[in-house]
Amino acid sequence: MNPLVTIRGLCVDAATSAGTAHLLRGVDLDIGRGRIVGVVGESGSGKTTLASALLRLLPANISRISGEIRFDGEDLLTLDSAAMSALRGTRIAMIFQDPMTALNPLFTIGTHLVDVQQRGTAGLSRRDALTRAEAMLTTVGIPDPKRRLSAYPHQLSGGMRQRVMIAMALLVEPDLLLADEPTTALDATVEAQIVQLLSDLRKDFAGSILFISHHLGLVAELCDDLCVMYAGTVVETGPVAEVLAQPKHPYTAALLACEIDDGDTGRLTSIAGEVPSALSTPPGCVFASRCSHRVPLCDHAPPPFEQLGTRGTACLRHRDLAS
Amino acid sequence: MMGGTAGYLASRLVTTVLIVFGAMLLLFSLSVIVPGDPATALIGPQATAAYKAQVIAEMGLDQPVHIRLVRFFSAVLAGDLGTDALTGRRVATVVGSVLPYTFLLTFLAIGLAVLIGVPLGCFAATNRGSVFDHVLAFISVAFIAIPSFVIAIFLLLIFTIWLDWLPVLGTGTAGDFVDQAKRTILPTVALALGWIGFIARLVRSSMLEVMGEPHIRTMRAYGIAPWLITYKYALKNAAIPTIAILGMGVGRLLGGAVLVEIVFARPGLGRLIYDAISARNYPVLQGAVLVVVLVFVITNLIVDLSYSAIDPRIRTQAGREALPR
Ligand SMILES: Nc1ncnc2c1ncn2[C@@H]1O[C@H](COP(=O)(O)OP(=O)(O)OP(=O)(O)O)[C@@H](O)[C@H]1O
Ligand SMILES: [Mg+2]
Repeated sequence: MNPLVTIRGLCVDAATSAGTAHLLRGVDLDIGRGRIVGVVGESGSGKTTLASALLRLLPANISRISGEIRFDGEDLLTLDSAAMSALRGTRIAMIFQDPMTALNPLFTIGTHLVDVQQRGTAGLSRRDALTRAEAMLTTVGIPDPKRRLSAYPHQLSGGMRQRVMIAMALLVEPDLLLADEPTTALDATVEAQIVQLLSDLRKDFAGSILFISHHLGLVAELCDDLCVMYAGTVVETGPVAEVLAQPKHPYTAALLACEIDDGDTGRLTSIAGEVPSALSTPPGCVFASRCSHRVPLCDHAPPPFEQLGTRGTACLRHRDLAS
Repeated sequence: MMGGTAGYLASRLVTTVLIVFGAMLLLFSLSVIVPGDPATALIGPQATAAYKAQVIAEMGLDQPVHIRLVRFFSAVLAGDLGTDALTGRRVATVVGSVLPYTFLLTFLAIGLAVLIGVPLGCFAATNRGSVFDHVLAFISVAFIAIPSFVIAIFLLLIFTIWLDWLPVLGTGTAGDFVDQAKRTILPTVALALGWIGFIARLVRSSMLEVMGEPHIRTMRAYGIAPWLITYKYALKNAAIPTIAILGMGVGRLLGGAVLVEIVFARPGLGRLIYDAISARNYPVLQGAVLVVVLVFVITNLIVDLSYSAIDPRIRTQAGREALPR
């Protein structure tokens, strides 16, 4: 079966006062049907940009989008805005990083949940929408859901709000759920609860999930596939267990080392050296300047993304490194 | 939650009463401090000493200041604004006779400004940088800058003298509703144009701020119709600064529409105050200004209460002054 999403050569540039910023520099990625794909990478590697590009909700200063994003065979980048808008909140839904600001403070939870349903299902009455919303709040583990429907966002804790966002996403029964660091803004215990919830919901959710995280451990726990990003490129993809057991890209290997050193916090700590700025274009591999396996050839041209069965990597030396 | 609201209401009422008392004190001191005694100002320097003494006694000006202060306050609190020294009519009656005209004009003008200014501002915000946005910015600033009486004169020239579409002068025949309505159109428009521009600018900038917020991005990500996002979700967030300005607008127009009232030969509070100042008719001046102050503080009380109707976060933490950001 062909993947739900096939991204090829996706480039996103933004115009800034300091020049053109390269947010994505040719991303290749597949999202299989019913799979959870974890996207990891340091801050600034382009994870949010990737998710926003899938919804075509990019910042206003974007100056170029090229490549292709095939969603169920259709290239999203060539759709007109009405057709794109028709996919949002029906076949593609998103959960955001900061649940504290993602809901409108002047409207009740119920109003939010009714409007997202009525938009996708013509003729759905407010009453039926509320009934469905109440059931979904129960599913995502919100106690006393009837009362919560008439609550305002500020009356709920961050964890509760994120559960509401998850309920919102599930209510529209999307084929693709984008979760952009859904637990980063929450404290550790709440984070664990939300992750537990997401893995419980897996059984009933038939769609695919793009799960963005800083946290490699989380991704290992929750996801089927892994996608490692660095400075606007995808450096490695493959089934989570395989990639973690035997990384092909030096950056993935370095990340794993950090994760182990770092123990508890699980966040990616820095690897010696600096991420190249989005404003510059290194002539060769974007990771070369920090790579301990660098050879002169690495600086000549960007390494091609090589697909070998289920694994994929963008490193000239992955064969040498494996042996 | 209810206790909070009640406490908030009580504290707002107290401030309101204090403001009104302060205004009364100021108005009273005016008649004491201003050089030349009000009686001479009223009856002229040629009057006989006996007549002058009689007027002074009638006005209570022969009493010591503190007695006059107490009398003034107790009279006002009892609803007695005094007697118009020129005509002998009750000040309350004089003010009451012009009040309907002023209310009508003020609330029509502000209402029109909201009705037109809010959609214009929303449209400009959602079409930022478009030709419409630039043209609206230019026209708004022009109308804000041009004094309303100048607009009034132009309207009068165009619609009455050149086109002969609308009668204008005066308020119309008593009982003839259509005639009265026709004569209200141009003064309303003259007062409203500047406020339309002002509200459009204000709504545009508040909307632009709100439209950048994450919760609006959520709505977009869920494909909610743009008109629903703009007029339901964003506009409610942008309403608070706009409503604050409306309170100010009502205050300005209540006593400040003098020149427009003069151009269209209409009675009104502004004109009454102006005439009272020229004639040094202190009782009428005090009465009229007091009514302006009263309506102004009541409007602002309503404005303040409407914030908590709009924003549930103010409701739960009612009593605290600042709006949460
Ligand atoms: N509108 C924009 N204009 C210019 N540069 C941008 C813009 N948006 C993002 N960037 C830059 O593009 C890069 C990728 O940003 P993005 O938000 O996609 O990263 P991220 O991986 O989601 O980071 P984080 O983990 O911090 O959320 C960063 O260097 C960022 O500074
Ligand atoms: Mg991000």
